[in-house]
Amino acid sequence: MSDADRSLDALAAEPPPLAPPLSALLEGELANLKAVAPRRPLRQLGILAIASLAYVGLLLAFMSLRADLGELPRAWIIGAGSAWFLGFGLATYFALVPRAGSMTPRWRAAIVTTAITSIAFIVLGLNVHPDGANSLHYGMPRLIHGHGCLWLGLATALVPVVLGAIFLRGAVPVYSRWIAAALGAAGGCLGGLLLHMHCRIADGPHIGIIHGGVVVIAAGLAALLVPRATNR
Amino acid sequence: MADPRELMQRYQAGDAEAFRELYALVAPKMLGYLSKLTKSRAAADDLLQQTFLKIHRARAAYVLGADPLPWFYSIAHRTFIDEARRLQRAVVRSAGDDVPEVPAGITGESADRTDEPRADPELAKAALEALSGLPTQQREAVVLTKLEGKSVAEAAVIAGTTVGAMKVRAHRGYEALRRLLGRKPPTDQVEKPDNKAERVAR
Repeated sequence: MSDADRSLDALAAEPPPLAPPLSALLEGELANLKAVAPRRPLRQLGILAIASLAYVGLLLAFMSLRADLGELPRAWIIGAGSAWFLGFGLATYFALVPRAGSMTPRWRAAIVTTAITSIAFIVLGLNVHPDGANSLHYGMPRLIHGHGCLWLGLATALVPVVLGAIFLRGAVPVYSRWIAAALGAAGGCLGGLLLHMHCRIADGPHIGIIHGGVVVIAAGLAALLVPRATNR
Repeated sequence: MADPRELMQRYQAGDAEAFRELYALVAPKMLGYLSKLTKSRAAADDLLQQTFLKIHRARAAYVLGADPLPWFYSIAHRTFIDEARRLQRAVVRSAGDDVPEVPAGITGESADRTDEPRADPELAKAALEALSGLPTQQREAVVLTKLEGKSVAEAAVIAGTTVGAMKVRAHRGYEALRRLLGRKPPTDQVEKPDNKAERVAR
């Protein structure tokens, strides 16, 4: 056994120190202790999903569905819409719901989901973009003219991000950036779902870079800004 | 021994005595962990109180049935890191230039530890002094895996990193300690640090 091992074993064998009494501040708060409801992750997931989808529904009712909807392949409408919804659902689930018996968030699944949604929707959008007679085409030369979709997508992403941050306050002292990125990706997918049903610009660069880019930007912004709210 | 899960449930239900029992159960070990990370016992005491205040204010975030101890340790880790960064920023503001990482200057003895028999105090003191010379991440890795009895996976969760990164930190910290604490053993007696960590954890 090395000197280091002997020294560490001696230190490990030391009895733990006696803890000091509770601070006056804590004692004061305990004197007024009230019952609180425990966190229910699945219930929070349900609330977030319903609120987010209701918000998208209201926006669509206000802004109307895309004018070329009836001209597009139904399989693509349903398939792409399902993919956006799945991305939103999975990313939110991994961000909010820890494994049974644990407080630790599913940060690895959150990272994987964020990465996959960030890349997949850009790639798919660039390569799969059916159009109809009433579709618009901007292409790369006029890509920047489609920036309104970017802002609309990010504004939609705010709902799950803000709700998720509220639900996770104090619950995620570590891995918070990855969980925040997953919330952002979830919000970005929700924004993508709205754009999928509203925006009739049908060229690859717009759908891939702008619509898909909402996921990337929302994930990045959430990772930068949300941990301050979730870390107490 | 009281079940931390049951104590958390009672505490969330408004039972202040349950919080005191939880404190009595967890605080000594957590103070030992913080004491080995920080500059002084007074700082460790302060961090302990901050940690439990955060736990108290975040008690609604607890999920029924979950093991609260890794969460408590993660909060303590986060509290220590935030305080270390705050102190480093304060030193930078006052010094006006980049400041290298502040190593811990661990105090050894404490008046309230005289009531229990201790292992070899000289060896323990040497280990504490050597620990104080390690970078923060390596110090924490060694403390968690070799002194607090955590597995590498548990230590990774507490520190909010990957198992691979925790293994590297623990290995480098252990190697640095061996250099600081004297000669290496003959090669036929060398154990791999990650196996050593797992053995200590068992």
